[in-house]
Amino acid sequence: MAEPAVGMGPQDQAERERFENEVRRIVQAAQAEGLILRLLGSLAFQMHCPRYGSLQAKMGRAYTDIDFASYSQQAKGVRELMARLGYVEDREVFVVTEGGRAIFESPKSHLHVDVFYAKLDFSHVIPWDGRLEADAPTIPLAEMLLEKMQIVQINEKDVIDTIMLLLEHPLGDSDAETIHMGRVAGLCAADWGLWRTVTMNLGKVGILAQGYSQLETDEQGHVVQQIESALARIDAEPKPLAWRLRARVGDRVKWYKDVEEVQ
Amino acid sequence: MTKPVRELMHPGLITCTMDTPIGQAAMLLMRHRVHALAVTDRDGRPVGLLSDFDLLAGEWLSADRESLEAMRRMTAGELMSTPLNTIDAGSTASEAAQRMRREGFHRLIVTEDGRPLGVISVSDLVAYLASQEPARRQTVSDVMSHAILVCREETPVREVARTMTDSRYRSVLVLDGAGRPRGVVSGWDLLGCLDGKPAADQTAAQVMHPALTIRPEASLREAANRMIEHHYHRLVVVDPERPEAVPLGILSSYDIVNEMARPGSVWQA
Repeated sequence: MAEPAVGMGPQDQAERERFENEVRRIVQAAQAEGLILRLLGSLAFQMHCPRYGSLQAKMGRAYTDIDFASYSQQAKGVRELMARLGYVEDREVFVVTEGGRAIFESPKSHLHVDVFYAKLDFSHVIPWDGRLEADAPTIPLAEMLLEKMQIVQINEKDVIDTIMLLLEHPLGDSDAETIHMGRVAGLCAADWGLWRTVTMNLGKVGILAQGYSQLETDEQGHVVQQIESALARIDAEPKPLAWRLRARVGDRVKWYKDVEEVQ
Repeated sequence: MTKPVRELMHPGLITCTMDTPIGQAAMLLMRHRVHALAVTDRDGRPVGLLSDFDLLAGEWLSADRESLEAMRRMTAGELMSTPLNTIDAGSTASEAAQRMRREGFHRLIVTEDGRPLGVISVSDLVAYLASQEPARRQTVSDVMSHAILVCREETPVREVARTMTDSRYRSVLVLDGAGRPRGVVSGWDLLGCLDGKPAADQTAAQVMHPALTIRPEASLREAANRMIEHHYHRLVVVDPERPEAVPLGILSSYDIVNEMARPGSVWQA
């Protein structure tokens, strides 16, 4: 039998709580020191989706690590904070990524913490650009949507997190418990490659959502409706000349970066 | 700005077919010295435009061998912008300018009864604007070129020659790192590279001649006098209050002759 994909598989409640409690400890400590440290990844979706967060456990979505976003100028403060909380940094990662990423490991709990400075840089770049102050303790909902939708090789855990987000939050043009579609559409209008991946993945999520028996029929319908609205908003955003030119070339030229996994 | 675009356009269309590879389209642009080609279908009807800006995509997206191969296979029909943006031949220059600004186009196909007659571009409208200059042309400042071509002292001579050719300028003003004028390189100065030290080994500072300056409010007669006295073909126009600042412009013998040839000048009365 095939091994479950990373982030998928049964996880008991005690183990889930161990991750959630550690996140709270780190977030509180960062807040006390005035550091901008915002949660992303599966735990962010759990924390920002109180109504639909239970879908993660129901659909076999497991926590594997803790991810944060911060600004480059906070790297020193974050490093000192994590050391005080008992973590050891893998300094090589920070050097190799030219200060773009830090990985911390707790020798005691064996929990693993990733910090992404300035931007998320996988298949596409999602810059933080002063956006981290728009929400707490997670990155803003628009960036949470983009975090998942920018992955070219999207997998089931990403689909589940996106479905939760779209069920829980309306689309709009602010960040207050709302997915700021102006931000999503603006980034997609600036980069045809990001547009290509995001719209492709939104389409995939819409199709897959209809196949999950864990979702009620009206929930499946709501996800599809949200995706149609999101695609319409992205489509309506004016596109600059460079975008239009890149669109004419289309898929003939690769539009994304291959992701190298940092272990 | 009521002149009809029919009188301002470039008549006729330079065309290529839909299946023309973009590398070949680039050659056509250079050969005909135009910035865009009309792309035609099998019946010879123009269906889109391919501009030099569109062709930049070739370099922009050729990040690796695979992408380069993909871009080399691209054709004019795949890269062109559609639909064709047209304007009636009887429309005015103002209407053409308004459409270009509003819709972000750099050129429009001029048509009459749906039949293409030519192309009107931003450059054509700029030339028209330039022809609407005020009548007062008595001083150096009225006649000089305000936009000037400059390079640094260490610029290789080969680059100076290439830029002069591409931009059709006949001289380049040489500045130091702080923007202070240091000299002028003209075609005459470059002749030395053909019968002496090769251009590849020289810099602008090594071939330039000293700049002869003049005040912007000086009369054309004074400028002509200065050119003849020193046997110079061009004068660097400087601000007398700040002679070390970036110059205000360049006045060439051609500018003065151009003024003499202007309808309405004292020479044409």
